Amino acid sequence: MDVFLPIAQVFVNPIEILLLSAIVGVLSGLFGVGGGFLMTPFLIFLGIPPAYAVANEANNILATSVSGSTTHYLKNTLDYKMGLMIVVGGVIGTSLGIFTFSYFKDIGKIDTVISLAYMYILAIIGSLMLVESLGEIDKAKRNVLDKKKLHVHYWIHGLPLRMRFPKSKLYESIFTPIIIGLVVGFIAAIMGIGGAFILVPAMIYIIKMPTKLVPGTSLFVTIFVSVIVTFLHSFNYGSIDLLLVFLLVIGSIIGVQIGQKLGEKIDSSGLRALMAVLILAVGIAIAYDSFFADHNTNGTVTSTIPDLNFFSQFILDFSNEMPFFYGLFSIMFAIFLGVAAAFIRRFISKFRKQMLMKS
Amino acid sequence: MQISNVKIFNKLISLKVSFVKTGLFLSLAAYWGVIIVGTFITFN
Repeated sequence: MDVFLPIAQVFVNPIEILLLSAIVGVLSGLFGVGGGFLMTPFLIFLGIPPAYAVANEANNILATSVSGSTTHYLKNTLDYKMGLMIVVGGVIGTSLGIFTFSYFKDIGKIDTVISLAYMYILAIIGSLMLVESLGEIDKAKRNVLDKKKLHVHYWIHGLPLRMRFPKSKLYESIFTPIIIGLVVGFIAAIMGIGGAFILVPAMIYIIKMPTKLVPGTSLFVTIFVSVIVTFLHSFNYGSIDLLLVFLLVIGSIIGVQIGQKLGEKIDSSGLRALMAVLILAVGIAIAYDSFFADHNTNGTVTSTIPDLNFFSQFILDFSNEMPFFYGLFSIMFAIFLGVAAAFIRRFISKFRKQMLMKS
Repeated sequence: MQISNVKIFNKLISLKVSFVKTGLFLSLAAYWGVIIVGTFITFN
């Protein structure tokens, strides 16, 4: 049962999208990584053009980060001041990223650039993760304890214009979070990812924020970065497909819940090596697809638009005739789904506690 | 005499570990080789 995506103009199997999105969600919940760098390549493998995969995954990330951020807001584990400083850099980085995206799109090389960027990012993350996890397993076997320095100072800590961040108990230059935000925003705009895999280590090791504030603040920053990416992609290229976004959001929100519950029950440190192998495998699949696969045989892309139903026709007309409002609607749609998911999760958790207390 | 005290077993285990590490290093090197060479071919 294939469904035609009115904006991306391809046929996809909704069950495949839901399942893949849920699997990536489980991995995100289990390993505490954002799913963007896995989901976008999967969408490309399913036949969705890379430029559309990037834009729609950014919208999906918006929904999941709103959902996660609302939960952290309710738990009060969020440093707004630090988050806003990173967002300032993020806005500049995202604008630069969209500018670069436009340049490569104009010269007709955007698909190659996205594939290559993914290949390298996955290769770097996979290699580092594999070496680190095998090292940890080796150390655990030999019972070796690591002696780490309490404070390591990089050049970034000597920057001027220092400011107090009371929640994180830090006295830091405002340029540190701004530079980190700039890098994250640039990568997010080109690759359609949240950038948590850069943001989280940077917040812990460079900014030296308390670990309990890191996930919430990272998600808070991701909201702003993905809002800008979603809006600019929607306004400039009309590439947001609400039907695809809906499928992605539902799958990933359910998957993340399952992953987090699994993470509480099993020790995931031993599984990190497997995750690294999976990341490397996705990277090599992209390499094969970019360098060796025959792209003329891809049968999913259609040159003629089939008869659209009312809903699909409405999405297509809305996107073409009112791109500004369509962009705003895409953002509101993702925020609504994210907040709804956070409150449903809170309601279920309260309900479960009450049931346990009664029994 | 315990098995862990037998020298040959310890040697075999350390040999296996270095074999796995070499294999890992070679596969990562091959992986990076493929993507770097592929990139050059694509852009040429």
